[in-house]
Amino acid sequence: MNSKVIKNINLAFILSFLMLTSLFVIYPLIYIVSGAFAPGNSIATLSIIPFGDGITLKHFEDLFSKTDYVQWFKNTLFIAVCTSLATVIVSSLGAYVFSRFQFTLKKSMMMTMLILQIFPSFVGMVAIYVILLRIGGLDTLWGLILVYLAGNIPYNTWMVKSYMDTIPKSLDEAARIDGASHFKTFRTIILPVARPIIIFLGISSFTAPWMDYIFPKMVLRSSSKQTLALGLYSSFLTEKKNEFTTFAAGALLIAIPFIIFFVLMQKTMMTSMGGAAVKE
Amino acid sequence: MQIKVQTDGSSRKQVLISSILFMGLGHILYLKEYVKGVFYALIEVCMLLCSPMIMSKLINLVTLGNSQPNLPVKQRDNSIFMLIDGVIILAVICVFIAIYIISVRSALKSYEEYCIFGWLKNEKNIISDTAQKAFPILALAPTVGLVLFFVVVPLIFSACVAFTNYAAPDHIPPNNTVDWVGFANFKAMFVGGTAWSTGFVRVAIWTLVWGALATFTCYFGGMIMAVSLNQSKLKLAPVFRTIFILPYAVPAVVSMLVWNNLLNGSFGVVNRTLIALNITSAGVPWLSNAWLAKFVCVLINLWAGFPYFMLLITGSMTAISADIYEAAKIDGANQFQIFKKMILPIVLYQTTPLIIMSFTHNINNFGAIFFLTNGYPVVADSTTTGAGGTDILVTWIYKLTVNLLKYNYAAVLAIVIFVVLAPFAIYNFRNTKAYKDGEM
Repeated sequence: MNSKVIKNINLAFILSFLMLTSLFVIYPLIYIVSGAFAPGNSIATLSIIPFGDGITLKHFEDLFSKTDYVQWFKNTLFIAVCTSLATVIVSSLGAYVFSRFQFTLKKSMMMTMLILQIFPSFVGMVAIYVILLRIGGLDTLWGLILVYLAGNIPYNTWMVKSYMDTIPKSLDEAARIDGASHFKTFRTIILPVARPIIIFLGISSFTAPWMDYIFPKMVLRSSSKQTLALGLYSSFLTEKKNEFTTFAAGALLIAIPFIIFFVLMQKTMMTSMGGAAVKE
Repeated sequence: MQIKVQTDGSSRKQVLISSILFMGLGHILYLKEYVKGVFYALIEVCMLLCSPMIMSKLINLVTLGNSQPNLPVKQRDNSIFMLIDGVIILAVICVFIAIYIISVRSALKSYEEYCIFGWLKNEKNIISDTAQKAFPILALAPTVGLVLFFVVVPLIFSACVAFTNYAAPDHIPPNNTVDWVGFANFKAMFVGGTAWSTGFVRVAIWTLVWGALATFTCYFGGMIMAVSLNQSKLKLAPVFRTIFILPYAVPAVVSMLVWNNLLNGSFGVVNRTLIALNITSAGVPWLSNAWLAKFVCVLINLWAGFPYFMLLITGSMTAISADIYEAAKIDGANQFQIFKKMILPIVLYQTTPLIIMSFTHNINNFGAIFFLTNGYPVVADSTTTGAGGTDILVTWIYKLTVNLLKYNYAAVLAIVIFVVLAPFAIYNFRNTKAYKDGEM
């Protein structure tokens, strides 16, 4: 009897703790949703009770009719897909070589990659700008993709290499004895086995461009070439004006697909994150 | 043209000397590997043809151009282009030297094979053989090329800038040239009681405190959530878990900007709610009081960062075998003891590299600071240094580069970050399985 009471108190305690945390977690998200549908423009006029002022779709209409939102979305999607594909190809090939071949400068190259990945890429901003200027990559989407790709390589090559190290070498040796070329071994034996890490790599390099602000601001100039994060931030939340509600509408449209995706994928991510990281 | 070579290894010296003398010469003269030899020779010919250009670029790198106030702006020497070109040329020379070494090694290897087998391979065999041997080089080429020109060159450039006077207002090309100044920038940043050095000490300390606090709170926040969801055996646990990963799913730019608006001192929703509920009479200066703003940074970062560790620790806890739990229960351990003596050590051991990685990530966590507080509020030295009360080193670098055009000081800070973080990166490297197994 007594222990049951203790158990119930315990349960109630945990439940209320979880409820409170949920409240804290959801709090700002509620205001993104209510802001997106609220009449009025700035945060100052937003009702403190969610949906307190009624509901309007005006901000969504504005996004599509008065700004380049659709174009921004297309640009970001294009950049994200290309960056993701290119990162997967280049990093997995590089990781395969680092994992399976012995060569002269291997150790120092691995070390260099590891040290390079601790720098945020914008430290070399000025030089990247000039190099892009030289090769005509300014204000183009491929210029930005190139910058992202190069920035992704050091860390991701390491991550994939660590995973490939756990794949038994006997697998590819068997294929080699059967006469398969190195590339064929890589494509038909290693890639399928390394699928979890490749998927993780693809997802993480796909999501990054949606959130980045610095490089798009540096590389892309014309409004028709901007990405979502840059366009939303620089059009609606500057020092001069605060159009929180339109920003929220635009942000909501990006966040929804992400949330659906993350919720559906949480099991897969848990295992692949655990696997990818712990295996090191 | 074909010169006889001995099979007993005595011609090794000739092959070596000829390969060093001119790239590919050994292949053509002694080893009948004409395609390979001509390929190598062409590379060296290209380099030799470019050598006047290379020399002038290298001289420019040393002098960084002369100031020519009489010429129109467009024709003046642009020191920054010179500096970048110089660094690129150095990178190209490194690649060339690497190819040179590869060519000499390949000549020696072919000769050794000749000594063993006693005959030279015919061209057809060589080509199919080369395709296989070239695979690692071809597969690694995009990685090396991209990293070299878009990561290494910019970083070396930035390291070089730390030793120049590249800064507004007097040394911005193309109007003016830039000169090497030795350690003057480091002195200005580290020595003496100027606004710059006090600002630097303040920002550096806050960066370290921020990195440690942000990592610690997110890790243990995530662990508490993972454990309470896992142990309580609630039927609602999946619902809560889904709610808790929402901050991880929303792009950080979006959530930080929303928090920034909600916490706004005068018209933010949080303050208006508090006043409406009669909890405070005036607005709380969430983002305009330096200490409170720092606290808010850590708190909001906890909001954004705990889901990652929650997922990670849940993953690592489910991987612990059920036998261990059973054994502990039979031995009479209670829930708390099981957690303290078994789960915690196992999870900690498995996630240590990730804690360190998360620390380096937080030191560089640009988005969490920049979009939440923009580095504000203004403090005593802000008018000179541009660094606000919550600025960490990376956001300060950004402001120095974009707003103040003090590229030289920004570069000094980048070097500081490198010196602080490199040991952590190397520690993680030495702890990897591959390193411990002695594969490298």
